[in-house]
Amino acid sequence: MIRLVLRRLGSSLVTLLIVSVVIFVAVEVLPGDACTAYLGRAAKDPTILAACRENRGLSTPAIVRWVDWAAGFVQGDLGVSMKRNKPIADLVGWRFRNTVVLALTASLVGIPLALVLGVMAGLARDRPLDIALSSGAIFAMTIPDFVSATVLILVFAIGLGWTNGVVTVSANAPILDLMSNTVLPTVALTLVMVAHILRLVRTSVIDTLQSDFVTMARLKGVPFRRIVWRHVLPNSLLPSINLIGLTIAWLLGGVVVTETVFNYPGIGRLSVDAVSDRDLPLVQTIALLLASVYIGVNLLADLLALALNPRLRTYRA
Amino acid sequence: MMMRHGLAMAAIAALMATTAAAETTLRRSGDLGFGGAENLDPISPTRFYEANDLIYNRLVSWGPDGLPAPELAKSWSASPDAMEWTLVLQDGVKFHDGSDFDATDVKYSLERIKDPALESPVTSVLNMIDRVEVVDPLTAKIVLSSAHADLPLLFLDYRVRMIPDGSGATIATTGIGTGPFKLETLDPEGTTVLLANDDYWQGRPKVDRVEIISIPDQEARIQALLGGQLDYSDLNGDQVATFEGNEDFVIQHYPSGDWQGLVMRTDTAPFTDARVRKALRMVVNRQEMADLVVGPGGGTPSCDHPVWAGDSYRSAIECGADIEGAKALLAEAGYADGIDIDVHTSDLEAGMVRMVEVYQQQAAPAGIRVNIVMAAPDGFWSDVWMVEPFVSTSWGQRPADQILNEAYRSGSSWNESYFADAEFDSLLDQARAELDLTKRTALYHAAQAALWERGGSLIPYHINGVRAVRAVVKGMPEAGEDYIAWHLVEKTGD
Repeated sequence: MIRLVLRRLGSSLVTLLIVSVVIFVAVEVLPGDACTAYLGRAAKDPTILAACRENRGLSTPAIVRWVDWAAGFVQGDLGVSMKRNKPIADLVGWRFRNTVVLALTASLVGIPLALVLGVMAGLARDRPLDIALSSGAIFAMTIPDFVSATVLILVFAIGLGWTNGVVTVSANAPILDLMSNTVLPTVALTLVMVAHILRLVRTSVIDTLQSDFVTMARLKGVPFRRIVWRHVLPNSLLPSINLIGLTIAWLLGGVVVTETVFNYPGIGRLSVDAVSDRDLPLVQTIALLLASVYIGVNLLADLLALALNPRLRTYRA
Repeated sequence: MMMRHGLAMAAIAALMATTAAAETTLRRSGDLGFGGAENLDPISPTRFYEANDLIYNRLVSWGPDGLPAPELAKSWSASPDAMEWTLVLQDGVKFHDGSDFDATDVKYSLERIKDPALESPVTSVLNMIDRVEVVDPLTAKIVLSSAHADLPLLFLDYRVRMIPDGSGATIATTGIGTGPFKLETLDPEGTTVLLANDDYWQGRPKVDRVEIISIPDQEARIQALLGGQLDYSDLNGDQVATFEGNEDFVIQHYPSGDWQGLVMRTDTAPFTDARVRKALRMVVNRQEMADLVVGPGGGTPSCDHPVWAGDSYRSAIECGADIEGAKALLAEAGYADGIDIDVHTSDLEAGMVRMVEVYQQQAAPAGIRVNIVMAAPDGFWSDVWMVEPFVSTSWGQRPADQILNEAYRSGSSWNESYFADAEFDSLLDQARAELDLTKRTALYHAAQAALWERGGSLIPYHINGVRAVRAVVKGMPEAGEDYIAWHLVEKTGD
């Protein structure tokens, strides 16, 4: 197990290095640079453009800039945003915290809900409860998030006036201020998340119910309740761990559309802005952060699956 | 009797005390047009104009006639050759830090605009200023390097604002000005808070507090406005219907100098031929195009003259769609069988692509076959605009002299049509040196007529601004942000 973790961590470092090079090259290849993006039309004035490039060290060759950046990064110096002229650690730090707050709230509400509803639907296969839940899930999956988000605002903020429609607190607001503004975004994300997980859990419960060992248990006269708790649940929830892992990684990666509609100060909007600003150090930091999150969450999900499923452990190389 | 009177007085006083205690906050959005790089330096490429309008004063403000009215400058006069301007300043004006505003601050604020290290887009606007001399604390003399008869008009630029002498290094974060509101917290990407300046020289503002809440997405701004989280917001043409008939909001339409248009490079064939250029422009039915692109009432037709309806120098040019005239000009230029052109456009701003589509339809009867080439919004200004021969463009409002010089004088950095016309340039030079208003106006009219005859810019209309204001907000004139006297804006409820 430890060897596995170490090996995965080792390969993660290589992945991160590759990510950083690819991102750097990709942003370099895009037309324009930080100065043309920053100055907009003022960039047509050659003296202003030259001064801007000089100020930001953009006149040096790309390879030199990458090495400088990487040297700083490994020493913990994330650098300064080219466009915003603020320390990147501050910019990314607060927004990532906000994204974590939103992702955690949505997960804490959504995952248990999805599991419970999924199991209920699976056990009630083809009965009215299942039909209601399954079609509700398909509905929630197919409505684009900007539509459901807008409808939520219209109904609960503008119509009923129960809560604020868009988030108007600063990125570095205290968590409690932020949370009180996060109700509608949480609901919007939970809807999509519950739908996906619910459907997987339902299928997997149905599969397990049809498996030989459940039939065997039934024939032996084991009470249904006990079959569900002892046999069906452990076996049918396992496959959903990886999906849950991916869902959390998706939430942590920044949900750009939801953030935009609700004006939520998270990492998703920042990452899109950073690319259109050609703000390389900022793009790099966010890309590496999100890549690490992806790698980390997936590793955790794998380890959890391993811990819960003895059969997988025996296949260890 | 006396007693009852006294009681009534006391009641009124108590009532006033309670209303005074209820703090009023005006909430507006910050549109984050500079992506979080906003700062309080008024001349920075990424100035935070939503806050700067309230924190700083200009030397002059917009008068009702479209001419400069006194603000920090009480009066002004020019030498006969228009090479020297003398400003008499308002006395008793204090900055937010308590220091006095005087001529040294004017000298500093104007001269720093020339500093190339600041990368300021205003540099080119005021590059005729050679130096500013402090005659006495309340008199400043501006010495020009080339004559300019309308210097005060240039001071109407929303970025030319007065800051304290020597404050350049810190102004971006301190925001010390002479304006009606003082900075409390600066957070362009969150909520920026301004408080009423109790000692404002034009009288204390009528709201206690202004919050500038960053909401970069236009749809989200509308949601926030509907939900009572904002007090007013600009609207797109398609959003007006949402607010019509809603008694909680007042819709304001006001003319502006902003425009979207199409521009051809006059240095690139076939647009090197002035006949081709005029033919391509004269096919447009401007009113119809405005109605189709920005909606009825959304635009004021123009005849390719960049000077907007609120500017005293706007020339009264008439231009209906003239298909036959265009055909004749094209035939004369050697395109009897019509002409094929590529127009490069992009989804950069609402309406940009729609305008090209309307143009395509309106131009077709004259044998002009328009092929629409879509470009990515990202990098449009650097890679397409002023590069491809025929492109979409958009401009913000500028006074006549400024826009004519910035966008059409040969060799200017933003001469998007690469217009090089010695006669036109000389008209501008003469106008700048002409102190007689009637003669000067005639010169600017001649310059606009030259653009209509020979120019490469198609300016079908100037955009009218539309704004929805909550009914509880009073004192907001039906005019652009630039015209609002912020200390008079009032909120009568929450």
